[in-house]
Amino acid sequence: MNFNIEIPHSIDELVLTLNKFKNKNYRIGAGCTDLLMELKNNSASNLTIINISQVDDFNFNNVKLSNGNVDIGANTTAFKICENENILENYKTLHEAALNLASAQIRQVATIGGNICTASPSGDLICALMALKAQLYIKNSLGENREISILDFYKGVRKTDLKHGEFLSHLSLNSNNKNAFKTKSGFIKIGTRKSMECSVVSLAYHIQIDKKGNIIETGLAFGASAPIVKYATRACDFLIGKKIDSLSKTEIDTFAKLVVEYASPIDDIRATAWYRKQVLFNISKSILEKNIEK
Amino acid sequence: MVKIKGTNKYKISFLLNQTKVEVIVKASAILLDVLREDLNLTGTKPGCNEGECGACTVLINGAAVNSCLYLAVNADGKEITTIEGLVNNESELDPIQNTLIENGAVQCGFCTSGMVMSIKSLQNYYISKNKSAKTKIAPTNQEIKKWLEGNLCRCTGYVKIIEAAEKLLTEKV
Amino acid sequence: MGELNKLKVIGTPVPKHDGKIRASGKAVYGHDIKLKDMLYGAILRTEHPCATIEKIDISKALKLKGVECIITAKDIDVNNIGYKRDHPILKSNEVNCERDEIAAVAAQTKEIAIKALQLIKVKYKVKKGIFDPFEALDLNSPKINSFNSGKFDNKNIAEVFKYSHGNIEEEKSKSKVHIKRRFTLPRVTHACLGTSNISAQYDKISGKLLLYSSTQVPFLYQRDMAHALKMNPSDIRVIQPVIGGGFGSKLDMYPFEPICALLSIKTGKPVQIIYSRKEEFLASPTRQPMIIDISCGADKNGSFTYRDIKIIKDNGAYTSWGATTPFVIMQAFSSLYKVAACNFEATAVYTNNVFAGSFRGYGNPQATFALERMIDLLADELKMSKSEIRLKNANFKGEITGQGLHYDTCGHKECLETVINKSNFNKSTKKSKEGRYKKGIGLASMLHVGGGAKIYRSDGCGTTVKIDPYGYCTVISGSNEIGQGSETVLAMIASEELGISLEKIKIINTDTDIKPWDVGVHASRTSFVAGNSLLGAINLLKIKLNKKAKELLDSKNDDFNYENGCIIDNTEDKSINLDKVVREMHFSEPNELAIASYFYEPSSQFQDKEFKGNVSGSYAFASQAIEVEVDTYTGNVNILNVYVAQDVGKVLNPLLLDGQIHGGILQGIGYAVSEEMIYKNGILQNPNFHNYKLLTASDIPQIHFFPIETNDKQGPYGAKGVGEAPLIPTAAAIANAVCDALEVEFLELPLTPERVLKAFNNKKKLIHEF
Repeated sequence: MNFNIEIPHSIDELVLTLNKFKNKNYRIGAGCTDLLMELKNNSASNLTIINISQVDDFNFNNVKLSNGNVDIGANTTAFKICENENILENYKTLHEAALNLASAQIRQVATIGGNICTASPSGDLICALMALKAQLYIKNSLGENREISILDFYKGVRKTDLKHGEFLSHLSLNSNNKNAFKTKSGFIKIGTRKSMECSVVSLAYHIQIDKKGNIIETGLAFGASAPIVKYATRACDFLIGKKIDSLSKTEIDTFAKLVVEYASPIDDIRATAWYRKQVLFNISKSILEKNIEK
Repeated sequence: MVKIKGTNKYKISFLLNQTKVEVIVKASAILLDVLREDLNLTGTKPGCNEGECGACTVLINGAAVNSCLYLAVNADGKEITTIEGLVNNESELDPIQNTLIENGAVQCGFCTSGMVMSIKSLQNYYISKNKSAKTKIAPTNQEIKKWLEGNLCRCTGYVKIIEAAEKLLTEKV
Repeated sequence: MGELNKLKVIGTPVPKHDGKIRASGKAVYGHDIKLKDMLYGAILRTEHPCATIEKIDISKALKLKGVECIITAKDIDVNNIGYKRDHPILKSNEVNCERDEIAAVAAQTKEIAIKALQLIKVKYKVKKGIFDPFEALDLNSPKINSFNSGKFDNKNIAEVFKYSHGNIEEEKSKSKVHIKRRFTLPRVTHACLGTSNISAQYDKISGKLLLYSSTQVPFLYQRDMAHALKMNPSDIRVIQPVIGGGFGSKLDMYPFEPICALLSIKTGKPVQIIYSRKEEFLASPTRQPMIIDISCGADKNGSFTYRDIKIIKDNGAYTSWGATTPFVIMQAFSSLYKVAACNFEATAVYTNNVFAGSFRGYGNPQATFALERMIDLLADELKMSKSEIRLKNANFKGEITGQGLHYDTCGHKECLETVINKSNFNKSTKKSKEGRYKKGIGLASMLHVGGGAKIYRSDGCGTTVKIDPYGYCTVISGSNEIGQGSETVLAMIASEELGISLEKIKIINTDTDIKPWDVGVHASRTSFVAGNSLLGAINLLKIKLNKKAKELLDSKNDDFNYENGCIIDNTEDKSINLDKVVREMHFSEPNELAIASYFYEPSSQFQDKEFKGNVSGSYAFASQAIEVEVDTYTGNVNILNVYVAQDVGKVLNPLLLDGQIHGGILQGIGYAVSEEMIYKNGILQNPNFHNYKLLTASDIPQIHFFPIETNDKQGPYGAKGVGEAPLIPTAAAIANAVCDALEVEFLELPLTPERVLKAFNNKKKLIHEF
């Protein structure tokens, strides 16, 4: 493994560094947990890592509340996300996704920006953030800003909308409806073991219900069953206006089938396409079934 | 941190087991290799070099991290503790180490350094949590298991390790 | 030996003797060795599992700065390795499996060594490999291993074991039920946390070779190494650094070890080879995969009548100890539960897969899985309870089995009864028809050697014990420590017998130049064999010490007690310090050393040509009842409770015993539900911890352990071997539990979520077409 490294210490320095390297072969590394694994396996020549982990900027490295939004800096570690009480209370699916990411050691260094931009089809945080319809904020090497919904961010297997010279600065959550009386939010991760798994199937859901028990907002995404993490629009729409406590078995089945319609999994070493679809169907049902807890 | 002119190397300095060290490393150097090869601290073990087994776990600013997936340059200015740093000035082992030994939680020992460091980080986490709490709390059995999920052990079946951690952390947080 | 009811140290939870060294990071593993001027070795392996090598070009690699030596087959004068001598250390004309070694480099740094490997160009002519043993048996298939001796009628058969007792046909006619099945057992690996390693240091002037090796059989290894390198065994000194896990993986010598020695011999400098994790997965031996065809029967009362077994083992391209697992497998089939007749045939077939070695249990987990599944099926067919059928057929004290095993003590029935009661086995069969999660419980037993295994002409172990003039004791044992705790047990025995406190006892066991001969760590033999050997040495030493004490105390007795560092004459209320006695031995005439040596050979027999004979000094039994909960939405098997009762003879150290039980059970659970080496055309698809799934701390069940003490008079203080037993019945009990939960059947392991879900959906006709 052999590469050069650039270590900006502020957002401004990061912008300048990107400007300097915009025509060169570089990779941005935050926690570097995925990147180092990739480079250990096949080392590219003349590569520069723009190591952003030493950028000293509170907003870039932390979760904060602003005008009712939860803003999460791209360099926020999975550990910090697990620890944030606001996320635990209001966006439980993200809390659970972060808590089940790899191991305690990895969660100390792996960042939310890294997870988003690595664009793995099984990215757990991506999955939760899609269910929450997070808004991503991007900066370029000239210091210009733009924003994009995470639902529009993924363009193919490990391909994102991020252009050369751009970086993710933060993301914002504001998916909670003011009429929501309660929220059914969670993250289901399927793998052989209870820990250390790369999801074989994952499902993030965030369903908001009003005082009368009507479903008023839904967000549902799944991972590891398509080239990118998928948002299941039709399944979400299907639920709107229905009463959460009186869904029929047929309705639940219809819902689960609508989710699976978005799946186009492959057979790989972890599971077959058959398995992924069956399980996706089953766990989609499970979030609406009563007594899903043991 | 200073880049050595005309090279791809950096002079970094950090607090290693309470002692300031300076070392010149390649930009792509990994902390595990720097600890084992350059600083001769071989107590930190190379189990997989891919962040899956936790044998190389060290503390960075008190928190457990896989040193095999950590860029050495990012250690600059930080406080790093390895298994060697848990022995105090009187050459006594840390209570975590003694509790593991007394509870039969050490077999081949290759995972032990990493296990000890992970338990230490959990202890640190609870000590700091308890500083601002009205009543002291200790981690549950489930939390301990969760905290140790990234440390593989092929000998013990984890039972004694978890028992030891539970015993220790009920008293010492 | 001390009287059992007065034991002070034995039976107590003494922490590991070398615990502080290991827990403080000070222990020196092979990975931590640095020798002056040491070079780093690396091995070039084939790109294709089956090919002819047309050309090897090392010229570019040789020019790389920092490369000191490159060897290929033509550069070395060596013998083939493996017990059948069918394995060339470096391959010259053909490669036959993914791990095959073609060239090796010694360089000044690891990075240079790896870079040099990339510069070696090999031209292959790729051939279609044979990865299925049944295809290899086809007469039209080519010969896979050109060194195969041709002893058998098929050119691709490496080894055949045949055994029988009783009259199968007669027993068949007595049977009310017959069951026939084919079971397929996967390839799994040890995955020791410390990867394989060796450091070799050859001295050109003396012609002596020093090896720092993590072998678990140093004396056999020394002989094998000498044969491979055409050296005199005594010119090879094997030192074992601290070992990062063994489990059987280090029972044979593999090519990387003589390769490292050869690099040192060629360069005259120390050379070190340390496997990467990927290499550890690719190029370590595995558990023996096999296909077991079994038919068996029972009469109307549920008594087992016959077992007819045919096994095909995928031998891989070369032969290591995996081929000999039938020694143990046939024992399970012939002698676990009473059975009137048994026919057994196991054939090892060469393929272009990697080869299997020994792995904790040595074929027994595979055999027990098949046998215990069959017992559940027989019970179902007879409409008998699964506990009753087992109790009815359980082994008993005094039994001499069809194979000639003598059960002088036997805790089988007690083990079964214990786990049946503790797990509420007979009451927990009510099942809910509805619901996502389904519970089940399964039962299985096992039989394993508990007093060594006489598979070589000797199953012995030597010990020298000495006491120094300061009252400290040194035990020089032929046995060795691979993490299991043998040093602790030996120190406890010495402390018990000599009345010397534990911290004054030193164990020397890592150097073939010093320690007496021993067969090595295998067959759960170390506590039994090395323990008895130490007791023998202490008895001899006590004769000398007693004589001197008698003289110094002016005592009329010949029998003394050893306590608190003193030799005590209880009848006359006199005592003398042990260190003083030793000093008097040294300094007064006739001057004598306080030292004694003893060679212990178990009373077991070398089996005859029909594999009959009492191969072990004692036999260990165990039963496990395992409760699972299956998620029918995902197929995940959650192991809730493991009830385990094991006939350990006598508990020597409850702390270390627990460790063996817990660790074994978790390995067994891994074998049952998560571990599998996945190959595609001979290429391993999951050579990493990411996809080869070792269980984590989050996955452990509640383990309820009940030791059963049968006090076997052959064992030290009555103890039997315990190391392998805990994992042997685990997969069988789990499979039985999952079958119970879902009312389905499984014919292969592991029970991955996918296999479980598929079986459940098929049964329920839950077919969702998407």
